[in-house]
Amino acid sequence: MRGCKLLIVGAGAAGISAAAAAWDAGCRDILLVDRGIRPGGILPQCLHEGFGMADFGRELTGPEYTALLLTRLGRTGAALQPETELLSVSKDRIAVLSRRGSLEQLHFEHMILATGCREKSIGALCIAGTRPAGIFTAGQAQERINLRNQDLGDEIVILGSGDLGLIMARRFTLEGKHVIAVLEQEAQAGGMARNVRRCIKAYSIPLRCRTTVREIHGEGRVCGVTVEHLDSGARETISCDTLVTALGLIPDREAARGLEGSEWLSLAGNCSRVHDIVDSAAAEATRIGTLIGRQLSV
Amino acid sequence: MERFDVAVIGAGLLGCFAARELSRRKLDIVLLEAREDVCTGISRANTAVIYPGCDHKPGTLKAEMTVRANAGFDRLCEELNVPLSRCGSLMLSFGPRADAVLREKLRQGQENGVPGLRLLSANEAYRMEPALAPGLSSALFSPTAGTVNPWQLGIAACENAVRNGAQLRRNTRVLAMRTEDGSYRIETDRGVLTARAVVNCAGLAADRVQELLFPPSVRIVPTAGDYVVLDQNCAGRPAHILEYEPEKRGKGLTAVPTVKGNLLLGTTERENTLAYAAAECGLDRVKALAVRILPGLDFSEVIRSFAAVRPNPRSPDGSSIQSFCIEHPAERFWSLIGIKTPGLTCARELGSYISDRLATELDAEQNPLFTPERRGIPKPHSLPYEERKALVGRDPDYGEIVCFCEDVTRAEVLEAIRRGAVTVDGVKRRVGTGMGCCQGARCEQKITAMLAEALGVPESAVCKDGPGSEIVRAEHERL
Ligand SMILES: Cc1cc2nc3c(=O)[nH]c(=O)nc-3n(C[C@H](O)[C@H](O)[C@H](O)COP(=O)(O)OP(=O)(O)OC[C@H]3O[C@@H](n4cnc5c(N)ncnc54)[C@H](O)[C@@H]3O)c2cc1C
Ligand SMILES: Cc1cc2nc3c(=O)[nH]c(=O)nc-3n(C[C@H](O)[C@H](O)[C@H](O)COP(=O)(O)OP(=O)(O)OC[C@H]3O[C@@H](n4cnc5c(N)ncnc54)[C@H](O)[C@@H]3O)c2cc1C
Repeated sequence: MRGCKLLIVGAGAAGISAAAAAWDAGCRDILLVDRGIRPGGILPQCLHEGFGMADFGRELTGPEYTALLLTRLGRTGAALQPETELLSVSKDRIAVLSRRGSLEQLHFEHMILATGCREKSIGALCIAGTRPAGIFTAGQAQERINLRNQDLGDEIVILGSGDLGLIMARRFTLEGKHVIAVLEQEAQAGGMARNVRRCIKAYSIPLRCRTTVREIHGEGRVCGVTVEHLDSGARETISCDTLVTALGLIPDREAARGLEGSEWLSLAGNCSRVHDIVDSAAAEATRIGTLIGRQLSV
Repeated sequence: MERFDVAVIGAGLLGCFAARELSRRKLDIVLLEAREDVCTGISRANTAVIYPGCDHKPGTLKAEMTVRANAGFDRLCEELNVPLSRCGSLMLSFGPRADAVLREKLRQGQENGVPGLRLLSANEAYRMEPALAPGLSSALFSPTAGTVNPWQLGIAACENAVRNGAQLRRNTRVLAMRTEDGSYRIETDRGVLTARAVVNCAGLAADRVQELLFPPSVRIVPTAGDYVVLDQNCAGRPAHILEYEPEKRGKGLTAVPTVKGNLLLGTTERENTLAYAAAECGLDRVKALAVRILPGLDFSEVIRSFAAVRPNPRSPDGSSIQSFCIEHPAERFWSLIGIKTPGLTCARELGSYISDRLATELDAEQNPLFTPERRGIPKPHSLPYEERKALVGRDPDYGEIVCFCEDVTRAEVLEAIRRGAVTVDGVKRRVGTGMGCCQGARCEQKITAMLAEALGVPESAVCKDGPGSEIVRAEHERL
């Protein structure tokens, strides 16, 4: 069985920062795995600017920020293995890793889980109506548009005004699409003020607070949604051909379910808690990487 | 013109099993399905319970078939390589009125020959299901109740029928029929064929299909029901199927710990306005009833909700029909009309009932080449490490995970496509992609791309489900 001192799962901002920090702190046997083809986690699909203000003093795009992270990682001897999925971990510190053509067990001394978040799905909302095509999570839409150059639809309703929803409202608008409205159940937008200003106000995209979607219409493809105004209870049906959901992020610790709290396991970045800005995710991971790296250097 | 011995109309559970049971005989069989795939109708949205047989009057065909079907289900699932969970069921009572219902069900079940039935005291029931709400007065335990994945069972039956010589024609809707030289001439939107016999299993349209040739006898009046699905290993998930107020309209509430470990809650009964559209009132009612019996449920663990449509059979005078409507309006023409619960449990029995009678009418011999076994798609997730490793060694695609929530590999998706999936939901029905907590957000794009490549079409032509459900509008040239 192959082994390593430190196994880091997830090569997003957190995983890369943890790996570099652990190396710098003296740990010389680090394996960093990620299920994706390219490292960076969520960053490569974030083509907008807004990353790295705290760390680098200027606003970078996701890919630019990733490039800086990778430069830092490149100066260390931590091994990066992409397209590798952590399937499971056991109490005796054996990870099962799967990738094309290979399934292996790997023994480690410490594991940093930096697996990020997943998006809450519309399925969780118990919304009435049909289950047609044309409903995307904001992250899914972002990946399809920014990395695959796909055209998803023309008339867009966005449910949820977290940062992701706001950023995608702007993205669709820049693509020449009509964002009919961003719907938010709370009294104000969920995302950062800066994103409300830059993504919504600057493009005059209607933000409708205290509203939610109650019913989905459409047989093959979505053709409309029934919206409720939560204060008055009034309802109206809006025609659209695409519904984008930004319902929030949920830390993804599935692979280590039930093992949280083990002393050989640390959580870093969005997998430990949702970080609004990348600098904060990276800083937390750097701290953890340094601490664990020191422990493993002796 | 193409000639067949038997044309089976409709490839839901009933049509697939009719074809499979008919393929035990030396017969040329064609299975005609209007949609792009099998099991997209009633068979994909139901409660998924293999009933023990307490719900039907002694001496009826329904009672007899259900008990027989239940007893044979392990063997059937082994033959078709489909997982079955014999979790047993508890019918719950919270007071004297329901206690009397349970005693009646017990008596009826015993008379029907249901094995192992026991009336439990509240204490005994709480020992089996500690999370049950307080106030229980008694429970009826049926150890033989179980659950399967209904569409996987139907797809397996279809694959087995095809393997035994039946032909499956999808995208082929029956539009008209008439008799011609003692045969049935069937007009479809893909041409005309003739068959010596017809088995009509057209689900919600079975009445109309029969009426293409015969005067109305049974009419289907659809009603809808709503379901809520909770994540695997959710809090308060019971170990047994729980039935609450099953004597009420729509069978009250049923909570099913599914074969995959989710919790399925359903269903209500309401007028049907639009097919397969969930209603707020129905979803709310399901949740309200569910917390009444399982107060520990946490609805933040819901991952999906959906609607089902019931084909309620009615006589032309409007009265509802309790028995299975196995219609035989003319020689060599059989119809299954308005088969609702326990149609999944009895799918094989109903198929073999018709197959036996048609074999006599057609004077058909046994098919010496018939094999009851069907090989399922290997599922690395359920294999021990060494076996999974060996599988990856044989085919590298078993190492590449496509659906993270459900741990489904590229090899499985490719095999699903090879076996006939043409849509994202078709892949889902065969290998379970997109059924987990992210509901396909992370795998839909990859599966769309794999379908596009395998089918030789652009991604913009790949559908989520039926026609008109294209996922992306267009794909520009990659940057
Ligand atoms: C759309 C969007 C816009 C944002 N915009 C900004 C912004 O403008 N400015 C800003 O500062 N911050 C922004 N953020 C926040 C910031 O980007 C994130 O907090 C940060 O990137 C999270 O990094 P992470 O490494 O924790 O997670 P991720 O980037 O999600 O990385 C997790 C990695 O783990 C991998 N993984 C998961 N499970 C497994 C497994 N079982 N096996 C193997 N690999 C696995 C994943 O493939 C992924 O690569 C944005 C976030 C999003 C989602
Ligand atoms: C809400 C609900 C809950 C249930 N729960 C249970 C349960 O827990 N246990 C149990 O045992 N049973 C249960 N059942 C019963 C079971 O699900 C059904 O009996 C069974 O699925 C019926 O299958 P089918 O083949 O008749 O219908 P379908 O699956 O609808 O198949 C009919 C097919 O015919 C095709 N078709 C229609 N018209 C034409 C045409 N003109 N030409 C060609 N093809 C055509 C359709 O496209 C469709 O694919 C339940 C049913 C419902 C509605």
